[in-house]
Amino acid sequence: MAVFRLHGSRVLAVDLAGDAVKAKNGAMVAYDGEMTFKKMTGGGEGLRGMMTRRITGEAMAVMEVKGHGTCYFADRATEINLVRLTGEKLYVEASNLLATEPSLRTGTTFTGLRGASQGNGLFTTTVEGTGQAAIMSDGPAIVLRVSGAYPLVVDPGAYVAHTGQLRQQLQSSVGWRTLMGEGSGESFQIRFEGEGLVYVQPSERNTIGGQL
Amino acid sequence: MPFTRINSKMVEAPIGPGQRMFSQRGAMLAYRGQVSFTPNITGGQGGAMAMIGRRLANEATPLMTVEGHGSVMFGHGGHHIHTVDLTGETLYVEADRLLAFDGSLQQGTMFMGSQGGVMGVIRGQVTGQGLFTTTLRGKGSVAVMAHGGVIELPITPQHPVHVDPQAYVAHRGDVRNKLTAALGWREMVGRGSGEAFQLELSGQGMVYVQASEEKL
Repeated sequence: MAVFRLHGSRVLAVDLAGDAVKAKNGAMVAYDGEMTFKKMTGGGEGLRGMMTRRITGEAMAVMEVKGHGTCYFADRATEINLVRLTGEKLYVEASNLLATEPSLRTGTTFTGLRGASQGNGLFTTTVEGTGQAAIMSDGPAIVLRVSGAYPLVVDPGAYVAHTGQLRQQLQSSVGWRTLMGEGSGESFQIRFEGEGLVYVQPSERNTIGGQL
Repeated sequence: MPFTRINSKMVEAPIGPGQRMFSQRGAMLAYRGQVSFTPNITGGQGGAMAMIGRRLANEATPLMTVEGHGSVMFGHGGHHIHTVDLTGETLYVEADRLLAFDGSLQQGTMFMGSQGGVMGVIRGQVTGQGLFTTTLRGKGSVAVMAHGGVIELPITPQHPVHVDPQAYVAHRGDVRNKLTAALGWREMVGRGSGEAFQLELSGQGMVYVQASEEKL
């Protein structure tokens, strides 16, 4: 059974005893013991998954790491968050996914206009099953709870991932000020309603509506 | 003079009369007391021959000598700083990763080929270290810069450690390193896992690895 633990906040250590984990291509920084690295074409989702990823542009370069010992992963000094899934679905951008346990399945879903506003395309990656996943954020991420009575509004550029039963919609407040070039920089927001958790990073990606 | 951490990106070091420190030029952030900073054209210790050696080896990072009475704060480029206390062993580090070090340490330049011959030279090219690397030996403290945080991994004869060459920062102790290549048909057709080259470190010591695969 693969054990995920954080070594500081930017390095993920995974103890392996003959089993395998999926990790972002090239994210290994060190290991002890015996490890083999194999690229999984199309995110290890088979031929259909590969075709879907090609078409949707949600390309995910994943490798399979197998062996005995401890493997350390890190990527561009980004902060790492561990997410434990017990049957629910995690929605995360492929570029923010660092590693997943073999018991988790990954796939792609359509996000619509919201995805485009986040600056990461119309599709997103889903992780499903029981086990742990490591997601990356630019700066330490905060986890915000959304419940029926408390909807949450997030800047599209700062959104990282979410879990649970959430409905989301893009809202905009483009007014005459925005058109004059005097916008507040917060013209587009994503509104989450329902029950679940949203991961937000203290940094904003470049998004299409980000400057408005 | 041990370095004290102010935060992850700044260190402070006390300095007294008769003591000397070397730091990367321009890395001083603030100081207290009477401290003078002298640019050091020879790029460290030793005389003109040592300077020529470093110039030829391309390990000549502009250094300055810090002398006086007080305390000095160092930091550079927002990089994370890791302090290493040496007690007689040798630290192998790239010159451009050195932020500051005690004047009591002996600085030298090592030819990569002297550890492992031709493979050593190739290793230097792959890790971006070049043909030469800097060594620091003796008793004292060193402040090393890295992109992202640094983790220390102990190396014991039973437990060799493999490191991604791009994430390697420095190592100390009696360590042999060897470049291992896991090149297969997948790499040849452009379907590699991105982990084709690894640095295998074995022996007795410690390796410092950064949480990033970016150079400084």
